[in-house]
Amino acid sequence: MTQLWLSRLVIFLTLTFLIGPFFIIIFAGLSAGSSLAFPPDGLSLKWYLAVFEVESFRKSFILSMFLAVGGTLTALVLGVPAAYALSRYKLPFGETIKLIVAAPIIVPGIIVGLALLRYLVVPLDFTVTMALFLAHTALVLPYAVRVVSASLQNLRVDMEEAAVLLGCSRLGAFSRVVLPNIQGGILAAFILGFVTSFNQVPVSLFLSGPGVRTLPIDMIAYMEITYDPSVAALSALLAFLSIGIVFVAERFLGFSRYV
Amino acid sequence: MSDAYVSLQQLTLAYGDSIAVPDLDLDINEGELITLLGPSGCGKTTTMRAIAGLMQPKSGRIFIDGVDVTRVSANKRQIGLVFQSYALFPHLSAYENVAFGLRLRRVASHQIQQQVNQGLERVGLQQLATRKPAELSGGQQQRLALARSLVMQPKVLLLDEPLSNLDAKLRLEMRSELQRLQRETAITMVFVTHDQSEALALADRIVLMSDGHIAQLGTAEELYNAPDTVFAADFMGFENIFKVADERDGLCYLAGRDSDVSARLEIAGSSEAGYLAWRPAAVSVGQGQHRGEVRSVAFAGETREYVIECTIGFVKAQVPVGNRVHAVGDVVDFELSLSTARPLRD
Amino acid sequence: MFTAALFLVPVVILLSEGFKVGGEWSLAGYVDFASKPLNQKVFLRTLKLGFLVALTSAIIGYATAYCVVNLEPRHRGRIFGLIVLPLMISPVARTYAWIVILGRTGIVNQFITGTGLSDTPVRFLFTETAVFLGLLQLFMPLMIISLISSMENLPKDAIAAARVLGANWFQVFTRVILPLTKEGLVMGGTLVFTGSLTAYITPAILGGSKVLMLETLLYQRVNVANDYVSAGIIATILIVMCFGANLVLKRVAQGRSQS
Repeated sequence: MTQLWLSRLVIFLTLTFLIGPFFIIIFAGLSAGSSLAFPPDGLSLKWYLAVFEVESFRKSFILSMFLAVGGTLTALVLGVPAAYALSRYKLPFGETIKLIVAAPIIVPGIIVGLALLRYLVVPLDFTVTMALFLAHTALVLPYAVRVVSASLQNLRVDMEEAAVLLGCSRLGAFSRVVLPNIQGGILAAFILGFVTSFNQVPVSLFLSGPGVRTLPIDMIAYMEITYDPSVAALSALLAFLSIGIVFVAERFLGFSRYV
Repeated sequence: MSDAYVSLQQLTLAYGDSIAVPDLDLDINEGELITLLGPSGCGKTTTMRAIAGLMQPKSGRIFIDGVDVTRVSANKRQIGLVFQSYALFPHLSAYENVAFGLRLRRVASHQIQQQVNQGLERVGLQQLATRKPAELSGGQQQRLALARSLVMQPKVLLLDEPLSNLDAKLRLEMRSELQRLQRETAITMVFVTHDQSEALALADRIVLMSDGHIAQLGTAEELYNAPDTVFAADFMGFENIFKVADERDGLCYLAGRDSDVSARLEIAGSSEAGYLAWRPAAVSVGQGQHRGEVRSVAFAGETREYVIECTIGFVKAQVPVGNRVHAVGDVVDFELSLSTARPLRD
Repeated sequence: MFTAALFLVPVVILLSEGFKVGGEWSLAGYVDFASKPLNQKVFLRTLKLGFLVALTSAIIGYATAYCVVNLEPRHRGRIFGLIVLPLMISPVARTYAWIVILGRTGIVNQFITGTGLSDTPVRFLFTETAVFLGLLQLFMPLMIISLISSMENLPKDAIAAARVLGANWFQVFTRVILPLTKEGLVMGGTLVFTGSLTAYITPAILGGSKVLMLETLLYQRVNVANDYVSAGIIATILIVMCFGANLVLKRVAQGRSQS
């Protein structure tokens, strides 16, 4: 009996430490006053609404969305065939290719960002948006390859061979049999990539110039200037967005199977 | 070119540098059910995959219905394959699984409907047409896989250990179902298995394979009663195999199959064979020329099984339960006679 | 894959900058870098914090993971979800919460001044403690998840058997649980350690320029001083440490169950 309570207490304390800060942010954003405080000075939704009025937030939100959706889609277009090739054929240098694909996860993001800025954007005259797009694609690619590979592994090769014997070409077998059966994995990869890309800071840090900033970077910049609850409100909104997406995905797909 | 329906000529199959099947020749007649039998790794599945076109031979040729299909790709060979795992398409209903190949052939839709329904009916699945494979039992999945292949009216239907994932009772049921389907459709079938009783029960002819070679080819009865080699006899349930170490003055001297013990057992008569083999049922206990000690006794319904240790090793015997019972530790007489022995070569 | 290659080249060039002084290849940059007390301090602080965060999350992680694994399966999934949840939320938001908690008018200071423990607010922000807490909250879920998944494979009877054989709880932990979950510990530890080393947001927001870590130092060197030699050196150090940790991870993972 005591053991049960002790165990519950441990879990409760850990969860408080991990999740408690969110509740604080949510409430801090509800403040009616003009400075950040907890408990808030009176309750109001005004900061939650104010967030939408800030021009730079709107712009950076659109950029972040573009990067997250576009980068992840591009990564999937590259990653799905790559994952397929890696899992079905013994490629020469297969291991090396895997390592190169995984590199963006291992190499700290800030270094990637700086390197891209200094050797791609500056000398080759890439636009900042273009560089950001490339960086985010490269960053999401490993996740795409890994998640899709995992769901390919559950798919037996037999099935493609059966399709071929029934008259499919190899490509036909891929689109008629493989793709429909890894849909879940692809969607999971998309969500994971989206969340990763959207929340990404270090890579974008150097690459963001004036006027071109991703949302998290913009939030940090805003934070340094003002001390009002709008960032708290925005953080809470973004948190709800992420949680919402993941929750829906889990509900309908059993998302966690793929991660 | 031979006039066989399926003809494999000097076929060499390899995975990279390791050769799985060297130089195989095999003819299969139209409408016949032939079994490729052998232990795992003997090359039977590899051979089957080569017939299907899922594997390119290193050399040699494959003819089907008089046409050289060696370079024809798998999707144009019109060959059906029932996989060990069934390889059903999990995202499609039973109906759509069967319709899959017909749609690719661009068969008219009313014909598809008719053929699919007929195909499902033939295997007793017409009630379950809308179910997904995951919602079917093992036996039903097996039938569905069969229906999916049969509806294409393949020139040859290959079956890769199709019964191995079923429980014992279902296996017997599916066996007779397969025989019925083969009678009804008269399709040439190649059945791959490692289970000798399955092969014996089903096949018109059995191809016993070992290390990529054909060890013996014949009807079920030929293989069961008259195996030629030690390998074939072993596979067909000859549990007592002894080496003929010496032969003189009308006597054969037997030694253990591969032991270097110098002990010998003599039996009357002379034999040219390198080995002699007996089924346990061919060994009589209670009287005879030889003597040994009972090591174990097991009751098996109609019969009682003994393991008897003698100078050249263990002898297994199977006697009717009505006979006198011996206990473990008893010293008994037993008989191995040349007349009941099967002569073998290595 | 081309994306991956496209971005690896710039990184390599950046790394090489650390070995160049005035256009010549030399190690002088490293000697110079190592002789500055600030750099030494930052380097040691980064290592220390990384280590402390990994150690603390291992201790809390074991306690939590043990409790979670022993829950009923129904609750287990739900609690597991709550532990994973923070990973889906923007690190900016997660770090921002600590400002609300630890700031001058934050919760902790309100409590301190309210109860009269101190008349003036205590400074928490821009201290190592703040960075430590931020990093711990950020990365602990990774450790808990690794430990839970390796504990799920732990045979339940092993612990009971050890108890029956007369082991006390400490002995059960050191002789049974620890060796059997080594893999999860190493995996979690590596993730937390490299994560802490390469975190940018947390030290930037909670540490500011007072508590620099390698990543923030790198940003500062580039943005304030245009010092690419130092940047290259720091980048090399970070990558070496990350790859080192990654190698350890791979070695251990391959030692078991990899075919």
